[in-house]
Amino acid sequence: MSSRRSSRSRQSGSSRISDDQISDLVSKLQHLIPELHRRRSDKVSASKVLQETCNYIRNLHREVDDLSDRLSELLASTDDNSAEAAIIRSLLNY
Amino acid sequence: MSSYNMVKQEFIKKWITTLHILDCSVEHPLNVTERKNAIKLSSDIAMAAARSSSTVWSRALISRSGNKTANKPMARRVLKKARNRMKNRCLTLRRNGNFTAKSGVRRRTELLKRLVPGGELIENKDYLIRETLDYIVYLRAQVDVMRTVAAVDSVTGNLTNDNN
Repeated sequence: MSSRRSSRSRQSGSSRISDDQISDLVSKLQHLIPELHRRRSDKVSASKVLQETCNYIRNLHREVDDLSDRLSELLASTDDNSAEAAIIRSLLNY
Repeated sequence: MSSYNMVKQEFIKKWITTLHILDCSVEHPLNVTERKNAIKLSSDIAMAAARSSSTVWSRALISRSGNKTANKPMARRVLKKARNRMKNRCLTLRRNGNFTAKSGVRRRTELLKRLVPGGELIENKDYLIRETLDYIVYLRAQVDVMRTVAAVDSVTGNLTNDNN
């Protein structure tokens, strides 16, 4: 049954995500996304994987936004070169 | 050095460049909002430039950053530098109309397409997944580096906590 399903997705130009793609995606995402670590791969649905991925990306976007806010406040507090210099220095020593 | 650390190193190099260009081309003083937007812009462009032109998301991000800052001369300089490094032409995103999908997978796939830059242009699901995985690695590197920099004490130049 699963081979019929995956061959169908090949014929239709991958209009559906196949089981193979899902398990491949899950194994790769498990390294990257904490929430997926605790689940065994054969129990994870495509929908759940996509949901966790979307949540993860959204959270990262929000963090970038928050960090940009914090960095701009950091630089605003001392408007001379010392803050910029400290930041550049920390980047170079990273 | 792990490949993830190499990603972070590449991002740092590019970010130093974009920050420097912005710093030179901007009229001081900036208000807090302008500064925040400049930081975010330079960070996003640096992330995309670190990846090179071989992914859809990096090209789309550069293109999108260009649309946001068309009237700002400071950003034009940054983009010109980043664009010159891109071998392919940038994509222009065309926003589709509202898409209502019935099943959970289709709906969530559409959501994912909107979150990954250039995702809406990718028809092939396999390709979308590969782009997503690539994009996540670089996005995490961007966050990790920005988090460390934000922890810098502005007077001593030391990190204020032991994060990373």
